[in-house]
Amino acid sequence: MLLPKIIAKIENKFSNSILDTTKFAGEDIIHIKGSSNLDILKLFKNNEFNFLADMTAIDNLTLGGFERFSVVYHLLSHETKERVTIKAYVPEDEPVLPSAESLWKTADWQEREIYDLFGILFKGHPNLIRIMNPDDYNGHPLRKDYPRLGRKERDDFPVVKRGINKDSTVDW
Amino acid sequence: MKQDDIKSNILTTTLESAVNWGRKHSLWPMPFGTACCGIEFMGVMAARTDIARFGAEAVRFSPRQSDLLIVAGRISLKMMPVLIRIYEQMPEPKWVISMGACASTGGVFDTYSVIQGVDKFIPVDVYVPGCPPRPEGVVEGLILLQELVDKEKFSDYSTTLKK
Amino acid sequence: MVKVTDKEVKAERMVLNFGPQHPSTHGTLRIAMELEGETVMKGTPEIGYLHSGFEKLGEYLDYNQYITITDRMNYFSPLCNNVAYALVAEKLIGLEVSKRTEYIRVLMCELSRIADHVLNVVMLAVDLGAVTPFFYGFKLREDIYDLFELATGTRLTTSYTLVGGLMRDLPEGFDKAVLKVLDNVDEVSKDIETLLNKNRIWQDRTKDIGVVSKDDAISYGLSGPMARASGIDWDIRVNEPYSRYDEFDFDVAIALNGDVFDRYLVRMEEIRQSVKICRQALDNMPEGDVMIDPDLGYSLPPKDEVYNSIEGLIYHFEITMRNRGMTPPVGEAYVPTESPNGELGFYIVSDGGRSPYRVRTRPPSLINYSIFPKLIEGHMLSDAPAILGSINIIAGELDR
Repeated sequence: MLLPKIIAKIENKFSNSILDTTKFAGEDIIHIKGSSNLDILKLFKNNEFNFLADMTAIDNLTLGGFERFSVVYHLLSHETKERVTIKAYVPEDEPVLPSAESLWKTADWQEREIYDLFGILFKGHPNLIRIMNPDDYNGHPLRKDYPRLGRKERDDFPVVKRGINKDSTVDW
Repeated sequence: MKQDDIKSNILTTTLESAVNWGRKHSLWPMPFGTACCGIEFMGVMAARTDIARFGAEAVRFSPRQSDLLIVAGRISLKMMPVLIRIYEQMPEPKWVISMGACASTGGVFDTYSVIQGVDKFIPVDVYVPGCPPRPEGVVEGLILLQELVDKEKFSDYSTTLKK
Repeated sequence: MVKVTDKEVKAERMVLNFGPQHPSTHGTLRIAMELEGETVMKGTPEIGYLHSGFEKLGEYLDYNQYITITDRMNYFSPLCNNVAYALVAEKLIGLEVSKRTEYIRVLMCELSRIADHVLNVVMLAVDLGAVTPFFYGFKLREDIYDLFELATGTRLTTSYTLVGGLMRDLPEGFDKAVLKVLDNVDEVSKDIETLLNKNRIWQDRTKDIGVVSKDDAISYGLSGPMARASGIDWDIRVNEPYSRYDEFDFDVAIALNGDVFDRYLVRMEEIRQSVKICRQALDNMPEGDVMIDPDLGYSLPPKDEVYNSIEGLIYHFEITMRNRGMTPPVGEAYVPTESPNGELGFYIVSDGGRSPYRVRTRPPSLINYSIFPKLIEGHMLSDAPAILGSINIIAGELDR
């Protein structure tokens, strides 16, 4: 049972970065400030939590929380079979936090997806461009204030008529 | 006789029925399979329900060598220009079957990123409903298309006569 | 610089587009390859051609309605997704399902695993030129589709589980049908192995291609057969068991080299182990209900109670009407499960309303695919379909 020891160690060492530690349905969740995520992740990585299982983000606009956006890391330890969830909070007017790509290479594409869908920027990422939506897309779809039906991008294509087209739109 | 002067008479109707017979029994499909309907289309091509017995044997993945485009699966914003380009690369005569609910109307996905029906931008001949349609449903769509092809006339392909 | 003759010939890099419409890309993905001669110097993948906004839909649909969307994600083995989502919703709310439900879920997951691995192996064979296993594999898949149709009503998009149990119980005669199909699976997998294992062409095209080292596998977050073929001993069914997997007796297949041939061998061995689990599930199937008590407020009551008693009618309305619905507690949950591709899990955040606040899928296809640029460097162009086929990319899960 390694996890309670690590949580106690973090609460001693980084006490001004930790906002809260909660438990729900048998799992531990640690809430931290966004700017110090690399220190805490490095401490976990050096203490047997060697696998970053998942990385995502939540927009807390109507849920409430410490800040508007929270980036969530799920860590797993192959040795002791334990899991922990770390939530790093970033404010709305400056959504920037350090990139975890230097610790685990899997964070590369996951951070690109979070940038595409939420608009959170990652400092130190080698190639932060959109991954799911087209390159000239405007807006970040998974934010709570973006409409589900989009802003008319899906009606914006040329109509091809039946028959032999003298004025086709394809450049050969 | 210039190509543009073809109107219907006894010679052309016999020729038309011969040409239509040839075309409808050798529709070579090009599957544009994106999602789950693509897997059902692979099942249609496989041994239990096999469309080779209807003439659709040579499944070519190149638009230049096929005459039936089967749009199977949901089309997203990034994929639509690719679909239009492939449709325009196919030579005439060409037909389109829209397979499944997502290609016909957008299906379950009423979101910012899925085109609500391929027929908004491309002319579609036969719609096959289902999510995904059974292989027998796709075969019925193919037979309906064969009946449509049977009724075509040469004047449909003329560039000066207005339809 | 390529040394072709005695004089040094300067080679130019050509950019080849392995485009979104191509017979051997499984689904819609695009790779921009820079070639020098036939050797790939750099391969940049581009994804997102099937992005449909699943996660945005999850905030609009009900807990039970979202199960129909989960089977459009990994459409090779849809029942595994249904089970994964139902497990997370049940953990969030705090429900306990009956033993019979868990055994039936295990049986369905393992049948889906057989279908997925068979399809992946035969599509890899078709990409490398061996077309015969395609017909054997698809005939077997049609038999498994018949089983799904007996139990759930449809072949592919099954939506079989509900929050709290299953849609309906298994019909009469299901276990005899499953036993017949399992004998067929043994024969077909033996046939495929006879055609491919000792085949000189197959071994030359798959051995030492796309080697993944153990450290890379952990750093890139790989799981499933891709990680087990590199020597990592991690199977969630054994290490973090869910749905009573600890009551079944099976082995975990591990290989040591990490190339395409090893991944193929791991998948064929997993098919055999799944057959073993299915037989155990059928032998020890307990009796009971497949749905939790409607008094808890999270499931629909049986139809005769809805029509004949006032409590049944009220419970039915409380769950289905638009301005009502389930009332789960405020919180979040994540349950990892072992899908045929790797670790599949849903992460649900709830704010107490009838729809989740945020639904996130941990996509094993996306995370396994991120190692592809590193694997393809230095290999020839014709190794690209082999490596792509062995990663088992499913576009629905990749882009969501």
